[in-house]
Amino acid sequence: MRPFRFLFIPEVLFDLLPFLPVTLMMFAGSVFFGSLLGFVLARAKVRGRKVSGILADAYIAVMRCTPPIVLLFIVYYGLPELLLSTIGLDINAIEKGIFVLVTFTLLFGAVMSEIMRSAYESIDKGQWEAAVSIGLSPFQAFYRIMLPQATAVALPNFSNVLINLMKDGSLAFTIGLIDIMGKGNLIISKNFGAYALETYMALALIYWTLTLIIEKSFGYIEKSLSRGKRSIAE
Amino acid sequence: MLELKNIHKSFNNNEVLKGVSIRVKKGDVIVILGPSGSGKTTLLRCINFLERADKGEIFFDDLRVNIRTASPADISRIRKRTAFVFQNYNLFNNKTALENVTEGLITARKVPKPEAIEIAKKALSKVGLSDRENYYPSKLSGGQQQRVAIARAIAVNPDVILFDEPTSALDPELTGEVLAVMKQLAREGVTMVVVTHEMSFARDVANHIVFMDGGVVIEEGSPDEIFSRPREDRTKQFLSRILPVWDYVI
Amino acid sequence: MDLNIRYMIDTFFLALTGVPVTLSITAVALLVSAPIAFFMAISRIYNIRIVKQVVSAYVSFIRGTPVVLQILIIYSLLPSWLNAMIKSLSWDINIFDMNPVIYAYIVFSLNTCAGLSEIFRSALLTVNKGQLEAALSIGMSAVQAYTRIIIPQAMVSALPNICNLTINLIKGTSLAFMMTVKEVTSIAKIAASYGYNYIESYLDILIIYILLCSVIQALFALVEKRIGSYKTLTGSAAKAV
Ligand SMILES: Nc1ncnc2c1ncn2[C@@H]1O[C@H](COP(=O)(O)OP(=O)(O)OP(=O)(O)O)[C@@H](O)[C@H]1O
Ligand SMILES: [Mg+2]
Repeated sequence: MRPFRFLFIPEVLFDLLPFLPVTLMMFAGSVFFGSLLGFVLARAKVRGRKVSGILADAYIAVMRCTPPIVLLFIVYYGLPELLLSTIGLDINAIEKGIFVLVTFTLLFGAVMSEIMRSAYESIDKGQWEAAVSIGLSPFQAFYRIMLPQATAVALPNFSNVLINLMKDGSLAFTIGLIDIMGKGNLIISKNFGAYALETYMALALIYWTLTLIIEKSFGYIEKSLSRGKRSIAE
Repeated sequence: MLELKNIHKSFNNNEVLKGVSIRVKKGDVIVILGPSGSGKTTLLRCINFLERADKGEIFFDDLRVNIRTASPADISRIRKRTAFVFQNYNLFNNKTALENVTEGLITARKVPKPEAIEIAKKALSKVGLSDRENYYPSKLSGGQQQRVAIARAIAVNPDVILFDEPTSALDPELTGEVLAVMKQLAREGVTMVVVTHEMSFARDVANHIVFMDGGVVIEEGSPDEIFSRPREDRTKQFLSRILPVWDYVI
Repeated sequence: MDLNIRYMIDTFFLALTGVPVTLSITAVALLVSAPIAFFMAISRIYNIRIVKQVVSAYVSFIRGTPVVLQILIIYSLLPSWLNAMIKSLSWDINIFDMNPVIYAYIVFSLNTCAGLSEIFRSALLTVNKGQLEAALSIGMSAVQAYTRIIIPQAMVSALPNICNLTINLIKGTSLAFMMTVKEVTSIAKIAASYGYNYIESYLDILIIYILLCSVIQALFALVEKRIGSYKTLTGSAAKAV
């Protein structure tokens, strides 16, 4: 058995890190579009309109059962054909990143909508009523009173799902996206399989750091939110 | 000034308001009495469009609104002329006492911030809470929270304030402080519609009493008429249950 | 877009033959990690030195890294390790002939340990300390107190989370194809590569996962009803008084 070469890890980190922006951009894009989708879905459920509520429910239930890799492949193979046959758009030559974005937007939207909905529903309806009763418009009541409170409730869950999204995003290399994972695999095949373990370890270190950053910064935000309240009151 | 005409409201085939009409003049303190489930809360909520009545009209001076066809602009106009004090206070949890009071001024009425703060401070001092301006609701007692809620209501200078059992969630020793504030407002000529079970408040402060049961107004009149010479059997029955015997004397 | 329905139906039933493997990975991972996770949780609750630090670091690492990396790491590590071990024991097994599902068992057990220990920890913490004291005060041993009083109560609050973990575990097993395990995903994937019927295959896989997860959710709902009944029973008894 070939001995493990520790020093290869910092070496390969230098080759991997230039591709971190790709990973982060996919992540940020999925968070942004997924949150928009999540908002639409959560709104459909909260409003209690029959048809759109049921559709949102069904969508969320399906996504809950869908392995990310399966959806990624369905989007990768299915989306070009779907667009070609419906609106005649040929996206076969398109950036791989688009497929990744679409996939994780679809997945993250479902997760996000559940967090938004449960946070919103945990806020007493009386808060909204009090706001409109002193003349705020329904939008102002939502934006100024409900949203800040719901956000505070959602923070711990939000941190969790961001971490999961970050980790699931590592699958993008399976359709050929060159993010840190993709680059790692390129390096391994360039070395004819040597130092595979060291490369994977380096990748694990990067992901571990990223999730710790997410976790710690949310912990910090939560703490400072509750601290702010106490210090002003006392 | 404010007139409700023939308000109807059902919750899934259960008709809760069966044609209620009420007239409020400027400076009136109207107390609505009635057994539990008679539709008092629902009526107040319909005035403020927290509940949308099925049928009826609301006249606010020259503003005439048919509830069924009311536009969002109509609703907003009516809400800006009324304020609501809730049974469970509903202070904004994410805002301090002062911010609770300025919110309606700054956001809904576009009052400049310094001016809003000045108005809010006056309102808070009126309810005796100047020293609690920067407290969050979770750090206030129930009675204090309700007084902030009243300050929030008077700060926006509404034509009429609607109170839904403002003291019923409070311990007996805290109801006094809230009732005192309401009495003070009545003396200053603030128009109020109050749902309450506090009979002493009804008798001493109200100038008009409305007795409701089963979604209709059974009887109305001055406190003296209602308490000393009730005409309807249901009113008598209700009062005999709620008033201790000695309350009839005097 | 036209789907090859005939192919889709055939592949659906072909892929169904992978369900036992998918389920066996799930079941083994859960069963192996349950006792280990329990002791990991206890070690953190009772602040057992060193053990606690090691467990925390382990949980943090597993939580902080993608399953796919855990698979790749273990798959490039384990075979040679096992080989060396077997050689030193001079057993007569060729490690490279072994069913690769063993690796899946190992990866997903390691992974599940971390998640399950976190669930156990927070569930045990929800049980009032007075429960343990009351049990000890009437002469139960610590083990009895745990098995008869604490764990049954903790289970009630843990179940929804365990259900979530199980669903995620099942979904995660779709990555076992990377270790050449013949489970649902890999069977359908291989079928697809013959005729390029990728979409049909992946839709088949999706349907199977939806079915599997629905069954699991229904089962958990059933168990939750049975186990949680003590709450509603005391509730109604309290009302009757
Ligand atoms: N949102 C709702 N959905 C369905 N039914 C409702 C709703 N709100 C009120 N009701 C019903 O309408 C009836 C009148 O309720 P309302 O709250 O107006 O009574 P109330 O006179 O205020 O009683 P209380 O003195 O107990 O506060 C009750 O029977 C109640 O069950
Ligand atoms: Mg009421």
